[in-house]
Parts: sequence; structure tokens; C-alpha cells
Amino acid sequence: MDTNFLERFLVIFALYNLLATIGVSIYGIVARPHITKKIIALTILGDALNVLAIFLGFKPSSIPPVLLKTDTISEGDIIKFATSAVDPLPQALVLTAIVIGLAVNLFLIFLALQIFRLYGTLDSRKIRELRG
Amino acid sequence: MRRSYIVLISLISVIFVLAYLTTYMGILGPISSDTRYLAKLFLALTYNPDTSTSLRYLTAMSPEAVTAIVWDYRGIDTFYETTVFFMAIVSALTIYRGITNIESKTQGSGLSIIVRVVTKLLIPMNIAIAVSIAVHGHLTPGGGFQAGAALAVISVLLAVVFSGYSFGKLGMGISKAVALRSMGLLGIATVTLLPLIYGIVAGVQTYLMQNYMKVDSPFTFPIYAWGQLISGTLIWLNLAEFLAVSFGFFVIFMLLSLREETVKKYLGVGDGH
Amino acid sequence: MDITLVLIAIFSLVGFIFTFLAVIEKDLPKAVVFSAIQSAAYAALFYLLRAPDIVLVYLPVSVGLYPAALFFLIGKSERVEE
Repeated sequence: MDTNFLERFLVIFALYNLLATIGVSIYGIVARPHITKKIIALTILGDALNVLAIFLGFKPSSIPPVLLKTDTISEGDIIKFATSAVDPLPQALVLTAIVIGLAVNLFLIFLALQIFRLYGTLDSRKIRELRG
Repeated sequence: MRRSYIVLISLISVIFVLAYLTTYMGILGPISSDTRYLAKLFLALTYNPDTSTSLRYLTAMSPEAVTAIVWDYRGIDTFYETTVFFMAIVSALTIYRGITNIESKTQGSGLSIIVRVVTKLLIPMNIAIAVSIAVHGHLTPGGGFQAGAALAVISVLLAVVFSGYSFGKLGMGISKAVALRSMGLLGIATVTLLPLIYGIVAGVQTYLMQNYMKVDSPFTFPIYAWGQLISGTLIWLNLAEFLAVSFGFFVIFMLLSLREETVKKYLGVGDGH
Repeated sequence: MDITLVLIAIFSLVGFIFTFLAVIEKDLPKAVVFSAIQSAAYAALFYLLRAPDIVLVYLPVSVGLYPAALFFLIGKSERVEE
């Protein structure tokens, strides 16, 4: 088992873990009856998808996309930075997605609270029987 | 319960075996040791002080590539993301319509005195960290979104440690928080529209959300202020987004920390079944 | 060989285990705590994937604000599933 094989195995193992996390959280959204549990699974689904997006921009033995030296910068510094840093575009998209996801999920929590006020339960099977 | 642990262990084994098989058969190749061409362009142009070449029309003059993409290269994208954020907060507010201010009549029960004193010491530090993240957003990792999330932690601390009625005592009503959040949104709108107004007044071609001069447009925001790199619009947009995000979450957690009896009295819904 | 890849594999596995536990757990506060542990593992993952910006925004959001909001929801509604 050479180093190259192990590196590839670790990357694929991490990728499959993320895919399995997405699968389990979709199971949680679809099959669990309680609305709070559905919201928890939805937050996990969003997190796993964000990690997957960042994973696409990753490369081994790289640096973060932040240029630390700004005072006396030469062309060589910029070329070295551009060839060694990771892809910043998925990070920029995920950054906004996390905050907007939080706002939307908080709205869902407010809706769940309102459902509890009106129906007295958060179990989706019981809510279906009540019908207002 | 034991059955679910067996399911968990078998799932992990399946993942392990599948990953081994995929690696062995070589379906998925090794992870690329090179980024895409577009990523290289972003990274090379994000901070490029060379004014002799035509690259000065493309640079964002910010050493932080993520903030440069968020507010300069894909600024309109973030503008619409902020709109979604705005709509989510407004939708949450419509559920709680009618509640404009939290009365501080009721004495809320907080946590013990030790926790209160420690929290009182922590809150100024938290504010300092959040403002620092926002102001240095174009230089170091950070920016408006990160600083807003960091400041929103204070609202949770206040609600949990001092009970939800401490907001009223601090003079931070819901309408005030909404006003501060609207100020942040107004700041973003102002920075977005300034190039347009300049273009109409001066009679030159400009673009919405323009940061520096383009080939066919001479308008440019100041890159340096008092010898410090401020990266044109980036610092202003970061500060405005900081206000919008942090006070948006403040409103939400203020409403969440209200007692159920108070909310039911205002909303006029029944007390369930 | 890069130690980062080993840590990425370990933290993604930790994230998967705690996601599973959070989804099957009947007691909802416990499920929220499992979800917070999964979030901490993902924050480490973001750091290892060279995304310090995301770590700064993800830590307060996922370890601080989400559990707090969910605890508010559970405190005002039901504690146990089924």
C-alpha cells in the first residue's frame, strides 16, 4: 500500500462520509415525525452540503486564500500566492449561504412555534389528524 | 437503542469498504493538486498594486480574496443574498406582528450572580472582537457576515443569562433594533448607488456597485484613507452588512426569548388543545 | 504524506457518527447537543480545508446560535419525540 493509494483512500473516505451524512439527514427530514427533529436534520443537511462545496476547492499542501504580506509585495509573491492558495470562490458562496441558511431556519423555528401555539403539538402525524 | 448502534457500525463499515473498493478500482482519481484557472485569476488579481499595467482595471485591492469576491467581483450576488436574508427576517416579524416593544415590568429570572458578572465582563470583549472582525474584514479573515454572527451571540447571552426582559432594560426595543438593521441595509444601498449618482452628475459612464475605475469608467472609491488600506467600497459594505446581520439576529432572539403568555396575549391565539 | 488528509477523514467520520446519533435520538435536547458536536467537527473540517473565513462565521452560527434557537423552541414546545 503506497502513499498515493492511502491519500486517495482518505479523500474518498471523507467524501463518502459527507455523502452518507447527507443521506442520513435526508432520512431525518423525510421519515422522522417530529418537526423539531426535521429542523435539526435540515441544518445538518445544509452544513454537509457546505462542507462538500468547500471540499471541491481544496487541494493538498496549500495555504488559505489570504495574502498576508502587503507592504513590499513583488510580482513573484503574487504568483506564488496564486499557485499555492486554495480556490476562494466556493468559500465566498458558502460564507453567505451559512448566514442566509441561519436566517431561513430561524424563520422555520418561528413557524414551528406558531404551529405549536395553534395545534398544541409538533408531531406531524397528530397535526395531520387534527386538521385545524 | 442497541439495534441503532449496530446499524451505525454497519453503515460505517459499508462506507469504509466502498471507499476501499473505489480507491482500489481507481474510479475516482487522486485529488487535483491544481486549482481552476478562474480561481488563479481571482487570487492573482485580488491585491495587485501595480498601476503601470492594465491590471489596475481588474484588481480589488484587498489581500483577502474571499471578501474581494463577496463584495467586489460578485457584489450583486451578495446584494441579492442580503435581500433573501431581509425577507427571512421580515417573514419572521410578520408572525409576531403587533409586538413592538418588550415591557420590562416583569422581573425575569436569570442565572446565578457568578454567571451574570462573568457575562457582564464578556460582553464588552465580544463587542470589541466583532467590531475588529468587521473593520479588518478586507485585510484578514473576517467581514460583515462573520462580525454580525459574532455580535449576535451577545443577544443569546443576554436572553439566557439575564432573561429576555434585559433587552428592555438596556433600552434595546424591537423597533430600535429594526431601525439599526434598516440603517445597515440603507448603507449597502447608498454604496451601491453612489457610482450611479456620480455618473449622472458628472456625465460619465459608471456601473452599479463599482469599486475602482474600469477601462471605460473613471469613477473610483478611495483605496487608502490616512495611509491605511481600506479597499474602496469593501470596508463600508462590511460595516453596513455587520449592522444589518447583527441587528437582524438581535430582533429574532429578542422575539424568541419572550414568554409564551405575553406572545399569546398579543397574538390572540388560543392556548392549544 | 500530508497529516491534513488523515484529520479530514477522521473529522468527517465524527461528523457522520454524530449526525446519525442526532437523527435517531428520541430526547430532543440530546439531539441538539449531538448536532452541536457534529458542527464542532465540521468547524475543524473547515479549518483543515483552509477556510478561516468560514470558521469565523460557522463557529458562532452553528455552535452558538442554532443550539440556542432550538433550545428556545424545545423549551416552549415538546421535549420528547413520539
